[in-house]
Amino acid sequence: MMVRTFIFLRSFFMDIYLQQLPQQLVNGLTLGGVYALIAIGYTMVYGILFMLNFAHGEIYMIGGFVAWWVLSLLTVNHVPYVNAGILIAFMIVMAMGFSGGLGILVERFAYRPLRKAPRMNLLLSALGVSIFLQNLVLNFQGAKARSFAVTSLIPEGLRVIQVGDVVISFMRILVIVVAFLLMALLTVMVKKTKAGKAMRATAQDIEAAAFMGIDTDRIIVLVFLIGSALGGAAGALVGLLFTQVDYYVGFQAGLKGFTAAVLGGIGNISGAMLGGLILGLLEALATTFFPATYKDVVAFAVLILVLIFRPWGLMGEKIPEKV
Amino acid sequence: MRRSLVFFVLVVGMLLAFSAPAFSADVSKGIKVGNAGAFTGDAAAPCMEIYNSAQIAVDEWNEKGGIKGVKVEQVMGDDALDPAQGVNVANKFVADNLIYGVVGPPMSHIAQATMKIYGAANLACITTAASKPDLTDQGFKHFFRVNARNDAHGWNCALFIQRELKAKKVAVLNEKVAYCENIASETINGLKKLGVTDIMQDTIVAGAKDYSAVLTKVKAYGPDVLFFVATTAPDQALGVRQAKELGIKAVFFGTEGARDKKDFIQASEGAAEGAYVYHFAPDVFALPEAAGYIKKFEAKYGSISGFGPPAYEAMNILLTAINKAAADGTISREEVLKNVAETKGYKGILGFPVTFDKKGDLEGGATYFFKVVGKDFKQVAVMTGK
Repeated sequence: MMVRTFIFLRSFFMDIYLQQLPQQLVNGLTLGGVYALIAIGYTMVYGILFMLNFAHGEIYMIGGFVAWWVLSLLTVNHVPYVNAGILIAFMIVMAMGFSGGLGILVERFAYRPLRKAPRMNLLLSALGVSIFLQNLVLNFQGAKARSFAVTSLIPEGLRVIQVGDVVISFMRILVIVVAFLLMALLTVMVKKTKAGKAMRATAQDIEAAAFMGIDTDRIIVLVFLIGSALGGAAGALVGLLFTQVDYYVGFQAGLKGFTAAVLGGIGNISGAMLGGLILGLLEALATTFFPATYKDVVAFAVLILVLIFRPWGLMGEKIPEKV
Repeated sequence: MRRSLVFFVLVVGMLLAFSAPAFSADVSKGIKVGNAGAFTGDAAAPCMEIYNSAQIAVDEWNEKGGIKGVKVEQVMGDDALDPAQGVNVANKFVADNLIYGVVGPPMSHIAQATMKIYGAANLACITTAASKPDLTDQGFKHFFRVNARNDAHGWNCALFIQRELKAKKVAVLNEKVAYCENIASETINGLKKLGVTDIMQDTIVAGAKDYSAVLTKVKAYGPDVLFFVATTAPDQALGVRQAKELGIKAVFFGTEGARDKKDFIQASEGAAEGAYVYHFAPDVFALPEAAGYIKKFEAKYGSISGFGPPAYEAMNILLTAINKAAADGTISREEVLKNVAETKGYKGILGFPVTFDKKGDLEGGATYFFKVVGKDFKQVAVMTGK
């Protein structure tokens, strides 16, 4: 009996772990990198304005569309005018620029006039912007998903790399590398530069920061620029990786990014990165062990557990209520 | 005593007012047809194709002078994939006395939610895609379909997988919506009946764009055939692409939604080569009678997936019935309904004559199978339940 149980368990673990686990880690890590990039935008805005920027998911979606526009403008019949590497870099940069600019516009016209209003008004304004942007794209682009013809950009031999049973596509490596590079850059910027210092000061106490001579309006603009640009980068990366974008992708991605931000401790940038990675890995692992329908159930159950024991999130700080 | 009499009269009056009297109207007051579907939200693309195709049929009738000289107007009723909004649309259509028939709803769960409302008003509904079997098993007389039922497709798919693809081990991935769950469970039941019992089933979440986690599971299972049951062509393209990327050797078999050259074959950049899909209609591109419709659609709205042609057909059947009902100058919903039910051997663009059986189902519903060869679909088999 013991032996049979052992054999069963061993075959079970052989199947589940050895065969699937490394691949699932790769799947989860890429997805997590994307979630992390989205989560940063939520967390940075929340850190300073204490508002949930619901429009962030839409800014991510528009980043994906910008990348698609660039790709379709610079290719004919899947053949690019320029070097493929330059094209991909250009897609990401344009998506970041466009989304960053859009973030600034949204802040200027939808949030700044309401800064002194009750938080609820700001939240509703964000919801309105989200619906507005979604329908704007629906009107201009239609409902059909747009496909990225990106496989042909990558030389045949580089498209997938096989390590044992694990398959890693070039795009996955690219997504992981770019996501981590951007996160590293942001960390350095926040920790080492003067602007970063001003951002941290503004997040800590916006009034005190203003008294110290920091132009907090400009810092808020900077926060929207950076957060939205990273969201746009995530949109472009997802387009390259999963090869599709439609007007509706922002909703789900926004929800996941927000969840990741809460998991990591909303307001904390490294927390958002960690939260994103954990959420991505959780989803992949949950799919391994449970029917795939339950992946969100498992992910959110973990979120609830974390919030029960650490209401301020994994890396968030316990801030005493301001009286 | 007098008060109770007044009360009695009031009650009778109200009953009369709310019961639907057989409304027979002069044709010249106007003729409208409803089109109910999810024109916004996740299924907006296929539903707009349905609407636009039906509009082509309406335009053609109007170009020929309309019905009895009256131009027909198509009214859009958007349910946004939400049964509650579907009920609103149904009530709106029923309340509009000039609407004599409806194309749709294309989604099974919304067709179910609105069944009683349309039924009570005797408003003929011709769906072009709702394939949940029990929709026509509930005794309603107003509901028709130009597409085959799911149980017919599921059983035919099982036959195809076992006989033509010779599979012994099958993985079934389905989206968590009624349509996909039905196809998946009917196919699995069929496969078990045919002696194929080594089956893995799991689900996908549509719109997530990333199916690699669940596909990794399929890879570990190592099936001969992967039956990927998602609604839309872009989702199917993602499925075949990501399966290929992971190195899954199984034959990819997709649903009718995947029969879209642009959004499935082209969008998958070669990954779909050798994949199979099923469809309820034969190759309309190869049918000479459909050429005119295809030309008009592509000129105006872009590429066609499988959802357009049946909608064009359904609208023509409906307008034919309305035309017949209007021949004497007056028209009522009951007349239209009776004429639709009597549709027999209607030859349109689908390549087979449309006849409705007693339940309102398409008689002799067949399932066609296609293989992706190069940039096109090649019809490889037809299964008719035997």
